[in-house]
Amino acid sequence: MSDLAQTAAQSAQAQADAVIRVENVSKLFRTPSEGTISALQEVSMEIGHSEFVTVVGPSGCGKSTLLKLIAGFSAPSSGRILFQGEEVRGLNTKTGYVPQESKLFPWLTVEENVGFGLDAKRYSRADRERQVSQFINLAGLAGFEKYYPAQLSGGMSKRASIVRALAYEPPVILMDEPFGPLDAQTRMVLQDELLKICERKRQTIVFVTHDLVEAVALADRVVVMTHRPGRIKDIINVTMARPRNIFEIHRQDGFDEAYGRLWNIFRHELMTKAH
Amino acid sequence: MSEQASREPSAVRAAQPAAATGSTAPISVHGVGVTLVRAAIIGGFLLLWELASGRWIEPFLISSPSRIFWSLYAGFRDGDLFQHTWVTFIEIAIGFPIGAFAGISLGYAFGRSRVLAEIFEPIIIALNGIPRTAVAPLFIVWLGIGLWSKVGVVFLLTFFLNFFNTYSGMRQMDHEYVDLANLMGVKGWKLTLKVIFPAISPYVFTGIRTSIPFAVIGAIVGEFVAATEGVGFFIRMSAGIFKTADVFVGIIVLMIMVIVMDKVAEAIEKRALRWQSQTEHIQIQA
Repeated sequence: MSDLAQTAAQSAQAQADAVIRVENVSKLFRTPSEGTISALQEVSMEIGHSEFVTVVGPSGCGKSTLLKLIAGFSAPSSGRILFQGEEVRGLNTKTGYVPQESKLFPWLTVEENVGFGLDAKRYSRADRERQVSQFINLAGLAGFEKYYPAQLSGGMSKRASIVRALAYEPPVILMDEPFGPLDAQTRMVLQDELLKICERKRQTIVFVTHDLVEAVALADRVVVMTHRPGRIKDIINVTMARPRNIFEIHRQDGFDEAYGRLWNIFRHELMTKAH
Repeated sequence: MSEQASREPSAVRAAQPAAATGSTAPISVHGVGVTLVRAAIIGGFLLLWELASGRWIEPFLISSPSRIFWSLYAGFRDGDLFQHTWVTFIEIAIGFPIGAFAGISLGYAFGRSRVLAEIFEPIIIALNGIPRTAVAPLFIVWLGIGLWSKVGVVFLLTFFLNFFNTYSGMRQMDHEYVDLANLMGVKGWKLTLKVIFPAISPYVFTGIRTSIPFAVIGAIVGEFVAATEGVGFFIRMSAGIFKTADVFVGIIVLMIMVIVMDKVAEAIEKRALRWQSQTEHIQIQA
């Protein structure tokens, strides 16, 4: 563990300006069929300002649950989550959330969806329009402002869903496997766009995925979680330089090393599960 | 737009619906065939009816299409049918909107407040078990034989259907929309207006449209029980003196009333739900 020192240094630095601190968080669910399920167990982590953190793990490891707790959709069973130093109680309106399915409001046009979060924030009309058109352009949706979500393709809905969360400029964006159901090509295009947006806006992002390549390609740090009950198995630093080229990510310095370490952890997980 | 379309192949798919909404589909051979067969069936039925009347079956039992047509004409020419239609229409025009509004409001309130739902749900379900037309005589006792007893029955029949549809919409609504809106700082009446009502609107419209025929039933039942005017009164009186043609005239007037109301509701629904790719409308038959 030669990079233990580095990890320690990094986490010390992250702790100093941590936007999110997860402290010993556990989450139990009560289900009628299986009794009590422990979705998260004693999870602790810090996420620093303008950091891109991906969370990987097998399905059912509680990665989505972790995001929902940070967003304040539900409360932890024990432990606590600090957001900019304050404990999250109730909805955390300083986060933007990009759900697994796009979940655009189907009764609003693209334009109205993207501007949805701006109404509550007291933007002037001119500011609002500028903001909306800027983000629609950013998502490559210019010309589709008046379309309803039912008229968009999967990739377009996804982009609209992402800029809807970005447009009102919350300090942190939480993304729950946003590119999951897309085909490989669209997925890459969107990853590329997301990277460009983030590198420009210096946005703090927590991104849940089960795709190891995606996890490494996007992240500053990869949080690896174990199968239920979800625990943090390891945190890997990705030292690849930015801006990154997603289409040739394999050739970039640092990718192989990070991916290799990640895969080692998962291989071990798979082996132990098989027995 | 072409630039976007070239960036992503599936964007081409997206461009199509917008282009298609403006123009109507071309008339197909199939469509013409269906219309012709339908017309032939209706025409054949009316012809058979006309022939049967007086030849094989007594006219006072089934009347005939020509007699009905002339009675309809005479009824509106003399003005008394206008009066009856107007009276029934007013009963519905008052009772239906109030009943629908009350049903939708209560359905919404139950959906928002778990405590309210827990307390009142069994009561509402029990009340729903009452065959509502059986209460009509009671309304006559309470509200007299005039307008308001019929308004009461219309209200009762409209209320429950709207309540149940709205409430089930509230329960089946995807709550993630509310969570997302809350997270974006939208709450209170803005949340209701911009998220909850649009989300449940397909259910609300189903409630409204299924309750239209029942509103008319309510008015007619009220008039059957005790009345001095209205289409229900007209039908009952005509049947009493074996003016069978006039009975059919009354039925036709009611049928047209239901169809017109449904068409109006359908047009409003189409406009309100234009964001849906297609609307599903389930008609519950009495």
